[in-house]
Amino acid sequence: MNLRFLPCFLLVLLLVTACSQSSVYKEYETVFQVGDQQEWAAQNWNDRDWRKRIGLVHDGQIFWSRTKIDILKAPESLHPYGIQLHVYGEYEVFWDGVLIGKNGNPGQEAILGPEGEMWATFSIPTHLTEAGEHLLALRSSLYYFSNHIGMDELKIDYYDDLLTDRLIESSYMHLFAGAFLIASFYFLFLFLSDKKEYATLIFSVSCFLFFALILVEFMKAYVPIHYSLHVVRLRIIGILMLVISFLIPLYFSMQFPFPKRKPLLIIYAGILLLIFLSRYVFELTANNMALSMWLFSFGIVVFGVYKKMKGARLVLLTLLLSVPIDFVTPFNKSLFAGFSLILLGMFYLLSLRIKEQRLAYENSLVQSTRLRLELLKKNIQPHFLMNTLTSLIDWVEESPKKGVLFIEALAKEFDLFNQIENQKLIPISQEIALCRTHLEIMEYRKEIYYSWQEEGIDLEQKIPPAILHTLLENGITHSLPLGDNSIKFKLVFESNSHYKRYIFLTFAASVRQATSREDGTGLKYIKARLTESYNSNWDFTSEPTNHGWKNTLKIYT
Amino acid sequence: MNILIVEDESRIAKRIERMTRDIFGDTLQSLKHIDNLPEALRFIENSSLDLVLLDLNLNGDNGFDLLTTAVSESFHTIVISANKDQAIAAFEYGVLDFVPKPFNRDRLEQAFNRAITKEKTENNKIKLLAIKKRGRIQLIPIEDLLYIKGAGVYTELFLIDGKKELHDKSLEKLEQLLSPTFERIHKSYLVKMSEIQQIIVETGSKYMAELKNGERIPIGRTKYKDIKAKWL
Repeated sequence: MNLRFLPCFLLVLLLVTACSQSSVYKEYETVFQVGDQQEWAAQNWNDRDWRKRIGLVHDGQIFWSRTKIDILKAPESLHPYGIQLHVYGEYEVFWDGVLIGKNGNPGQEAILGPEGEMWATFSIPTHLTEAGEHLLALRSSLYYFSNHIGMDELKIDYYDDLLTDRLIESSYMHLFAGAFLIASFYFLFLFLSDKKEYATLIFSVSCFLFFALILVEFMKAYVPIHYSLHVVRLRIIGILMLVISFLIPLYFSMQFPFPKRKPLLIIYAGILLLIFLSRYVFELTANNMALSMWLFSFGIVVFGVYKKMKGARLVLLTLLLSVPIDFVTPFNKSLFAGFSLILLGMFYLLSLRIKEQRLAYENSLVQSTRLRLELLKKNIQPHFLMNTLTSLIDWVEESPKKGVLFIEALAKEFDLFNQIENQKLIPISQEIALCRTHLEIMEYRKEIYYSWQEEGIDLEQKIPPAILHTLLENGITHSLPLGDNSIKFKLVFESNSHYKRYIFLTFAASVRQATSREDGTGLKYIKARLTESYNSNWDFTSEPTNHGWKNTLKIYT
Repeated sequence: MNILIVEDESRIAKRIERMTRDIFGDTLQSLKHIDNLPEALRFIENSSLDLVLLDLNLNGDNGFDLLTTAVSESFHTIVISANKDQAIAAFEYGVLDFVPKPFNRDRLEQAFNRAITKEKTENNKIKLLAIKKRGRIQLIPIEDLLYIKGAGVYTELFLIDGKKELHDKSLEKLEQLLSPTFERIHKSYLVKMSEIQQIIVETGSKYMAELKNGERIPIGRTKYKDIKAKWL
């Protein structure tokens, strides 16, 4: 049990340690000014009248931003600090008035075309990173998304680390993605081999989409993207999120079925679409989708736990575990950690279902074999065989001609049993032939006059082997003959659009309640055979009547 | 001989009947065939019988119900059954013989001979003695039994816990079933050999067997040598 949680805990641990590094700088608020003056790069320029927010800056016009930064700790020797920026636009970077880097061509975007990346890292000269106050000034232009002015992300750390950390992080995430890709293929193949298992397909698709999501999210570390194209990536992420957010609760709804599934899922899909289409800040949209997905899944799984469905408790635990992770990690990481946990939960459920199916299959094999043996045993069980042989000896000794007829009847019954021995369903005509032969044998043994009648039999119908035969045996065993030394059996068939019905009647003097062990196994055999062929779509009753006994067998269509 | 056949297979019953008449000949006083359990129980209660031939599977009823009643009676019971795996259980209840189906005249005669010649079973398979007590049948494990005393047509069973029970079977019939664990050390006593602590010779050449619980039981003068040899 503990082993199952191990991956989850490792993941939590990894993420917590990854996010708890101490910072070497403190960042103040960024201020903006439209225009272009080289002096604005200077550290001591008075920017008190600059604005915290500026409106649209059209046509790729130049504007400046200034951000005061405190360096808390000077870098170690030979390890210069670097600065990593996630800013829309093309810009030049000034640190304490010194130009330390360039990302594209500010002011000339329309002429020179898109250049520069969405994420850029610049080295800061060591002599400019003493502990104390510093100034970051950007000379930018924003030709393509004039409403995206601002500093999305700024990070100062050792230059080497800034470069390598991203790669390390993304390589881990890619390993992770690879695992989901393999899982996706595996479950796709599993689905292809059994096309009725839609849960497997949904899981496979979820895994694949998750793989794609990780790829799209983390490709920024190695694929340069110009800021004008960044929205494409965000849209792709949005669409992936939308589909995943729908598929995961759909999957849970299949594993833990609840009432009014369809309308609830449609409403949920509507809510997701609404969130997706609302032109909000991207991360909020993704967050809202993730939240809706979590809430809906949580509801389904809680219902599953309430109904004591298998595996629901562990899945609930993974869902709950994803909550604290959401608190301790930044958005994109928590999203992936949460998703992976939920996918792990789904994985676990699927493995449970596969195990169940395997067990059910093995059981059905054992059951079929058992039923086959039971059928075979009917002919060689000592009560039947030895009594028959004793009577037979007597007939042969007393009246050889009748003895021969007796042997022929016995041979016929054995022959019929051999024909049906390995079948799950046989024609009703064969079953009736079996019953008639059995009566013939019993007549020689019991010296009672047995008669057999049929009504409305449809010869096209099939029935599990030896069911009527078992009822007949019970009828013979438990009945005493009527005054004229006879026992009558009658088989009636009726069918309509809902069901097919066999009524098997015994007309005898005294038919006693079936209580003994032997009879119990007979009824068990009948029920097991019916379940084997019709699952639960059948009904069997057995009751005394004033003329004898009545068995009713209903098979629903 | 008064014999009852309990068998629900008509053809087989007729066969047993025919062979029985043949084997016993003139010594047969009465022969009755019954094919169901309730009637058989009623008949046993109201008739005096010497031998019952019993099938253990009657119309799907458990023949052991009838068997316990039968073995508690004064007569011997021979089981004729198709289920050989019931033989051990039947012997444990104290039947005289178990004839498996299909059978022939010789096998049946062999069983009858046991009844007629009072031949001992020597099979040592009996585990229980059924006694009638307040209208119910009670089963007494053989290991709880110390010795049996003949009392006319009945017998008295003396148990380890000091209790005394009555059995309808004669000492001869019980000897047949219980030998060789129990030995007839006196014309009125049947004693479990393993319970004899010592054999004492009292004045006037009276021989006594002292049991582990201290009780003393007389040994027949003619049987002394034989018993002593067996006991040693």
